[in-house]
Amino acid sequence: MEWHGYTGNILNVNLTDNKISLTKENLEDLKQFIGGIGINCKLFAERFKPNIDPLSAENLIIIGTGPLVGTATPGASRTVAISRFPATGAIANSCGSMSFGFQLKHAGFDHVIISGKSDKPVYLLIWDDHVEICDARQLWGNDIVETHDALIKKYESCGTIAIGQAGENLVFSSLTLIDRTSTFGRGGLAAIMGSKNLKAIVAKGSKGISIAQPKEFNKLYKNLFERIRTYPHRESWHELGMLRSLPVGMMLKASGQNKKARQCTDRFYLKKLKKRRIACPSCPMGDKDILELKEGDFAGLINYTSSVINPFLMFMFEGLKSYTEAIKTFDLINRYGLDSLTMVSLLEFCNKLYKEGIFTKENTKIEWSADYNTFIQLIEMITHRKGFGDILADGWNKLAETYDDIGEEMLVVKGLDVIFEPRFLHLGTMEFEQVVNPKGAHVASGGSPTYVGAGSSKDKFIAHFKRMGIPESAIKRLFSPPFPEMIVNVGRLTRYSEDWYTVLTSLGLCARAQMNRFWGLESASEFYNAVTGFERSSEDLRMAAERTWNLMKIMNMKEGFSRKDDKFPKGWFKPLKFGVNELEFIDFFGETKITHDIANQLLDDYYDERGWDKENGLPTQDKVKELGLEKYL
Amino acid sequence: MVNKILYEIIVHEEKCTGCLICQLNCSYVHKQIFSPSEAFIQISNQYSLTPKILFLEGCTHCNQCAQHCLYGALELKEVEQ
Repeated sequence: MEWHGYTGNILNVNLTDNKISLTKENLEDLKQFIGGIGINCKLFAERFKPNIDPLSAENLIIIGTGPLVGTATPGASRTVAISRFPATGAIANSCGSMSFGFQLKHAGFDHVIISGKSDKPVYLLIWDDHVEICDARQLWGNDIVETHDALIKKYESCGTIAIGQAGENLVFSSLTLIDRTSTFGRGGLAAIMGSKNLKAIVAKGSKGISIAQPKEFNKLYKNLFERIRTYPHRESWHELGMLRSLPVGMMLKASGQNKKARQCTDRFYLKKLKKRRIACPSCPMGDKDILELKEGDFAGLINYTSSVINPFLMFMFEGLKSYTEAIKTFDLINRYGLDSLTMVSLLEFCNKLYKEGIFTKENTKIEWSADYNTFIQLIEMITHRKGFGDILADGWNKLAETYDDIGEEMLVVKGLDVIFEPRFLHLGTMEFEQVVNPKGAHVASGGSPTYVGAGSSKDKFIAHFKRMGIPESAIKRLFSPPFPEMIVNVGRLTRYSEDWYTVLTSLGLCARAQMNRFWGLESASEFYNAVTGFERSSEDLRMAAERTWNLMKIMNMKEGFSRKDDKFPKGWFKPLKFGVNELEFIDFFGETKITHDIANQLLDDYYDERGWDKENGLPTQDKVKELGLEKYL
Repeated sequence: MVNKILYEIIVHEEKCTGCLICQLNCSYVHKQIFSPSEAFIQISNQYSLTPKILFLEGCTHCNQCAQHCLYGALELKEVEQ
């Protein structure tokens, strides 16, 4: 048959015996699941064995892209990887952007299944029909930027996924970078690649992607492109990128760090840091940054990042005194392939325990001082697994096992540190999502009322809910929180945020606010049909997303996860000292203090909305049957 | 008689983001497939400090690339007749 949108090809690479083979996509599967995250889950579930060591040859990495990737569909450039992650032991999908997925599609593949373990350092080259496991001994020991640059020099225009020294040394908080810019694989994807001696994956394609219904596609594309072209804030997004949505300077000011706040303003960024705006393939709302330090001890440093807000968030740590220290530290973390968010959390946690006398020079062998040099020293020790760094390299769970009574203090869910602090940002779906996400504390799939904003009218919320394809029958329940002044039931809404995110990520579409806002379930379905030639309703897409999320949950159920792991960090229920203020754990609208009872009620509501058992937080037999997932139990 | 308005494309490489929307539209309009390698406009060093934009032989000056560039890297300028 002739494929459109999809290439129809799945590449199998076994690193143990150097075997490369091709299988075809199954059309019946594509009635149940959509590419990207959907088929990734299905392929993984079919090969899944619970309780294997994530860093053993038995673990798989499946990388996939969506059916819209490779076309001009705005914002279609997502790459998704599923594996069992070392930081949590959970089966999870990680998403990234830039050009890898795009190049993979143009090389003629929808998914790549990587199994086994090479006996020497290798990289995988996928160049149209030429697929080769190449010697990477010359690259081993290099950081991510060096690795990417060497591969670009050799293959010119191509997409890369590369690991740094942290991945080589199997650090649990390691991640990979796509095209040395986009973070990919929070929770240790780089360590999984490192355990397989896989330094990098290169994709380069020239085959092209055809459209099944050009007339229909042209109409849809023209309308959508025009909406984006005339969007009044488009140029401001181009100018500021993600800084437009998260004004870190204001956060620093609120925390009492006024001098640092002045180094994170829009004007400061434009004058002192911004070198170039870059965008993922097909994205008209590009927000990736190339930064350049123009002054100070590190003048001339060039940093590639998915956003300037990443180093700016690092600047929140009091020990970093200037923006140049923040950028330099962030750049080192990026190059080694560590998770900058986890590094800051670890640093702040260690700082707190040193202040409290729980960590000492004797029990950590570090002369602690909350400053740049100590931070750099810690990063080096973690990356190279030296001394105390070797314990930290094994993640939060190992740290809690090693030192008595510190686990309760950690702001961690399932072994991943929380990203969004609800005592500062209030409990929206992004914050709640961190508790229930099978992956552990992560925020990508929870983005929803954040886009509407507290204080907006009910009508605005309803319009937003309808855009995401939330059924009419659910809307009343979404406006039934534990207390009326909370207005929206964040627990129930999170279920639909996850489903919406899954639709976008299955198709290969960006979920970031500035692109997400142009999409609705209906338009996504129309594009899907025009590109592939399939006839799927909006409800089919929503069901495919729900099926995908449930399948991921079933796999994690087999790993032993249940409601006991969907735990609100205890620290959230205590006040947070922030500058001169003490911030409480309150609801999204800032009216109601979240107690343990309310938190538990929201969890009950989330499971109820999912059709799961409230006692164990897992899919019920009825739900599994409804979704046709019995064979995976 | 209606005069046809002619345009030329002014290239600002420093504004190119490497989104490849120009190449995608070019190949789709002229070859009915999304394939940057078949476009008459080529972007190299896509994510480097110095991206390069090159027009290949065969370009029909249809301006589809510039009409879809939202970053100002390909600027359409009316040509005096």
